[in-house]
Amino acid sequence: MLDTMDLSWKVAMRNWAIYRKFLFSNIIPTLADPAFFILSFGIGLGGFVSQIDGMSYTQFMGPGLATSTALMTAFFSTSYNFYVRLFYEGITHAMLTTPVGPREIIFGEFIWVGLKSAGMSMGVVLVLLCFGLVDYHYLWAVPFVSLFVGLACGGMGLISTAMVESINQFQTVYAVVISPIFFFSGVFFPINQFPVVLQWLAHLSPLYHGVVINQQLLWGKPNLFLILTHSLELLVLSMILCFIAYKLIYPKMER
Amino acid sequence: MNLVESHMLVKKFGDFTAVNEVNLQIPDGMCFGLLGPNGAGKSTFISMIYGVCKRTSGHIRVFGKDPNTYGREIRQQLGIVTQDNYLDKEMNVYENMVLYAKLMGVPKDEVAKRIDELLDFMSLTHKKKAPIMALSGGMQRRLVFVRALLGNPRMVILDEPTTGLDPAVRHLLWEKVNELKRRGVTVLITTHYMDEAQNLCDDIVVMDEGKVREQGSPKSLINKHCPGYMAFVSDSEENLQKFSRRQDSSTALEIIREQNVLALRSNDMANLQIHLKNADVDPILIRPTNLEDVFLKITGRELSQNA
Ligand SMILES: Nc1ncnc2c1ncn2[C@@H]1O[C@H](COP(=O)(O)OP(=O)(O)O)[C@@H](O)[C@H]1O
Ligand SMILES: [Mg+2]
Repeated sequence: MLDTMDLSWKVAMRNWAIYRKFLFSNIIPTLADPAFFILSFGIGLGGFVSQIDGMSYTQFMGPGLATSTALMTAFFSTSYNFYVRLFYEGITHAMLTTPVGPREIIFGEFIWVGLKSAGMSMGVVLVLLCFGLVDYHYLWAVPFVSLFVGLACGGMGLISTAMVESINQFQTVYAVVISPIFFFSGVFFPINQFPVVLQWLAHLSPLYHGVVINQQLLWGKPNLFLILTHSLELLVLSMILCFIAYKLIYPKMER
Repeated sequence: MNLVESHMLVKKFGDFTAVNEVNLQIPDGMCFGLLGPNGAGKSTFISMIYGVCKRTSGHIRVFGKDPNTYGREIRQQLGIVTQDNYLDKEMNVYENMVLYAKLMGVPKDEVAKRIDELLDFMSLTHKKKAPIMALSGGMQRRLVFVRALLGNPRMVILDEPTTGLDPAVRHLLWEKVNELKRRGVTVLITTHYMDEAQNLCDDIVVMDEGKVREQGSPKSLINKHCPGYMAFVSDSEENLQKFSRRQDSSTALEIIREQNVLALRSNDMANLQIHLKNADVDPILIRPTNLEDVFLKITGRELSQNA
């Protein structure tokens, strides 16, 4: 088990080594997306929406946008990116000639996607903090929440990598799964605006739980009960998704 | 002692049987050649050795262990040159090797030294900082050799190591393989070049459609299947008839129809020349038989359906 963790960590560090090379150009799009949402929705739409739950619209949106960064980061990293490494470039096949096995490749991917998601959404939070849009008291807990959002959404990405028949089908996955999750997880408006059925469906979205927790942490008036129940659900969801991902992607690495 | 032993080893992909009841032993210190047309199941057999392909049935032991459960320990002692290079194009030569040295568990303080030695061994020192894309095909292949040797392997597996390379690189790689043999490293090599197999291998297995067709040393295979000499003459009806008339058990002449030539084989050079003289035909070429003739005889001169 020690060897497994050591090797998985090295696999994850390969991705970090590559990522670090073009750190700036890699980070810019991740930060740019939420920035444009804030500018267009927050300032543009915010003029029409005077207050939500006693906050400006930009304040309302901030924590959700930061959390959805974990969704996007995790999905793209485990779909297109991993797919290319697995099926086109054979990076994984080369690694499989060393003591690294399929298990270490998958664990390494989880480690990488978890840390990257946590880091990215923390980056967004720090930018929001600079503009005074979030409360700083519980800021330290945000990366842990985003880490699990990243694991769950990374699980979804790996599941789609195992299932698509061509790289172009990720567009379909994005349109049918990722986009709805992004728009209906309470980032842009409270989900109690929805029909009850949709509210129940939202519980299947890892992003929804992450958004609620981070909102509680960053709005400055945390509700412990909400945080605990959603943490539990997020934990269970991410474990289930990672487990399914493991089972589906493992055979793709065996010849 | 045998480093690899397989018994009735089978791998199926759906209904398709890629490796079919293969029994093989690869003794310590040997250079073992695995020959066979495209699709014969060579690469699949190899991936079962290092535990990345799980067998459908049968047994396989590598270093006395089952690769399904001890894959990691087994790969620790193997140096594998995969059929495709799979070099990490997002890193340069040195970074690639550092990553794989770490994955092979080379102690931290030895990494740099080991890489430098091996880059030198493969004449790549001058490319240490080069991006992968800046390397020629031959250099990339040599770098894959470096990668395979980082862990000081007890056995190396070379899957078509020289396919598509120019003669100079091929000869360089042969020299390196011989050097490894001298150091006592066991070698398993697949190749489509029969001169390569004849030069390097102590023992050869010919596979076709997943099955082992033949096994033996290059010499013994030639002696068994097509000893002697081959003469090639132009492939006309007239020639065919001339020689067919002469072909009976007493004349010891074998006629093989190839794509554009007629090949005549006899155990004895003098006999071959008498036949040519009597038929009044000038040969295009006369040469001793070689492993290629054995290969074509065993696997057939037509392309198999899987190829
Ligand atoms: N993952 C796979 N799924 C289905 N068929 C496969 C797979 N891998 C190999 N095959 C088939 O098995 C046969 C043997 O392949 P391979 O071992 O690569 O042959 P060789 O290396 O001798 O050229 C080929 O017909 C190939 O198409
Ligand atoms: Mg092959």
